[in-house]
Amino acid sequence: MSARWWVPLLGAALLGAVPWIGDETIMQFGIYLLLVAVLAQAWNILGGFTGYPSFGNSTFYGLGVYGTAIAMAQFHMPFWTGLALGGGLAMLCALLIGLPILRLRGPYFAIATLGLNAALSALVANLDVAGRNIGLILPLTRNDVLFYEGLLALLLAATLAVAWISSSRFGMGLIAVREDEDAAAVMGVDTTRYKIAALVLSALFSALAGGIYAYYVTFIDPASAFDPKLNVQMVIMAVFGGPGTVLGPVVGAFLLYSVYQALASSISTAAALFYGVVIILAVIFMPKGLVDLGWGLRRMGPRYLLETVRQYRL
Amino acid sequence: MLFAQILVNGVLLGGLYGLMALGMALVWGVLNIVNLAHGALIMLGGYAVYFLFTGAGIDPFAALPVAMGGMFCFGYLLQRLLLNLIVRSALLNTLLITFGLDVVLTYLAQLAFSADFRAINPSYAGANVTLAGITVPLARLAAFAVALLLAGLLWLLLNRTRLGRAIRATAQNLVAARLYGVEPRRLYAVTFGIGAALAGAAGGLYGVVAQITPYVGTSLTAKSFVIAIIGGLDNPLAVVVGGLVIGIAESAAALYLGPTYTDVISFGLLVLILVARPARSLRMA
Repeated sequence: MSARWWVPLLGAALLGAVPWIGDETIMQFGIYLLLVAVLAQAWNILGGFTGYPSFGNSTFYGLGVYGTAIAMAQFHMPFWTGLALGGGLAMLCALLIGLPILRLRGPYFAIATLGLNAALSALVANLDVAGRNIGLILPLTRNDVLFYEGLLALLLAATLAVAWISSSRFGMGLIAVREDEDAAAVMGVDTTRYKIAALVLSALFSALAGGIYAYYVTFIDPASAFDPKLNVQMVIMAVFGGPGTVLGPVVGAFLLYSVYQALASSISTAAALFYGVVIILAVIFMPKGLVDLGWGLRRMGPRYLLETVRQYRL
Repeated sequence: MLFAQILVNGVLLGGLYGLMALGMALVWGVLNIVNLAHGALIMLGGYAVYFLFTGAGIDPFAALPVAMGGMFCFGYLLQRLLLNLIVRSALLNTLLITFGLDVVLTYLAQLAFSADFRAINPSYAGANVTLAGITVPLARLAAFAVALLLAGLLWLLLNRTRLGRAIRATAQNLVAARLYGVEPRRLYAVTFGIGAALAGAAGGLYGVVAQITPYVGTSLTAKSFVIAIIGGLDNPLAVVVGGLVIGIAESAAALYLGPTYTDVISFGLLVLILVARPARSLRMA
């Protein structure tokens, strides 16, 4: 095994040990950190590999949240059943809407997914079984280790899935769709089926993360479950780290979320400003993400920064 | 009668919506940048007119050209110094950088102007005329007229002047336009400047008919985006029609379904249009 594999494995083992080392604050921080990392990685499956800029992944997250919550709070099912139902609901939804929505490209796809999110949010807010605008309260469990390790396992599963994708024929097909969809179709890639498969997989991981998080926070409502800002976060973290790479989105999520939390606790007022500036600088100097920056710096040193700027400026 | 009133409300609101989307459609069509900071530019224009009115006592409609001039310079510099650096990069990157810009502008506005709600209230703000039982608020009518005027001026600029021809040529084919002597860096900056000036005007009018906060930008960006798609990116007058569609749909939805549904209506309409007629939406300017 090469260092390429040792480092992530060692990192995962260290993360797995956190509940026995850290205190409650760290656990709280860790649970949310793992949540956004799973979401960024799930977004990566569709957005990073096929290049379809989804702003509707929060829809699947929300379906996972509500599927789990409705099963547990209204029908008194066990958590695992609820989680499975939430995941199934999101996959079904992805399958149904995939066909019409994945025909759209570029910004049109982006806004259609954003619209879907708004529509489902309104739908949930008007359903009795989903607690309407008021939301639902889940049975209280104080088992942070379960939530933490659950999300960590999910992150590992998502990352392994992405690692498999990036080296498989399926992943090659997705990348072909990203680079030139028409050419991919001509070369015999069944683009529709590939895109829908990517969307369903992405939906599954988002929903499972949502289900675990719902049980952790115990109180959910439409505004927090279908929050478009959460989706923007997924996109930023994945793109910051490196869309279409295996570890980029995870690194991006860890780094950005940690920096943001550190800033929010020390200079709370300027945290948002700093966040915005970081995003702007990141796009200018590393438009292909942190992972590409790492390769580029090793290959040609600081000249990489100038080269990327030169490549994309007018 | 109630329906006629809703129609009038929707049309007056829709004209302003159309003006909001004009700048976004122009920048999108020519520069291929989906400017997520567009709403923040509208917000800045609103504050400019607000302070010209409360600080210097200039009538909001007279202050509009001043605010537009300022916003033009701001937009020109923004494109020239910042956005030109990444304009040839992937769509996701232009989305991200303008999102970052939106965050920064919103934060700076909150720092400079505080989070208070501000409304531009000239003496005639509450004046109405009643025509055949339909109430028409004068300020809204004036805002509507200005919106139409600016859309018409933009159409003239694009279709009847040398600059407009250069802008349209660049939108069609950057390389070919370059070969014919267009300097793209300057032209992109001018185009973005015009977009920012239109956003500024929309912001000033928005301040007259509604209230401005530093956070108003995000929802206005989303609305402009939807309208730009419905109207298309190549004809300013069609964008105004797109605004009217959304304005009327929202007014009707607010009455018949309740105000929480207005956003759902505009997005739902959009998804329907996109899915039903994808061929049209793929044919970009």
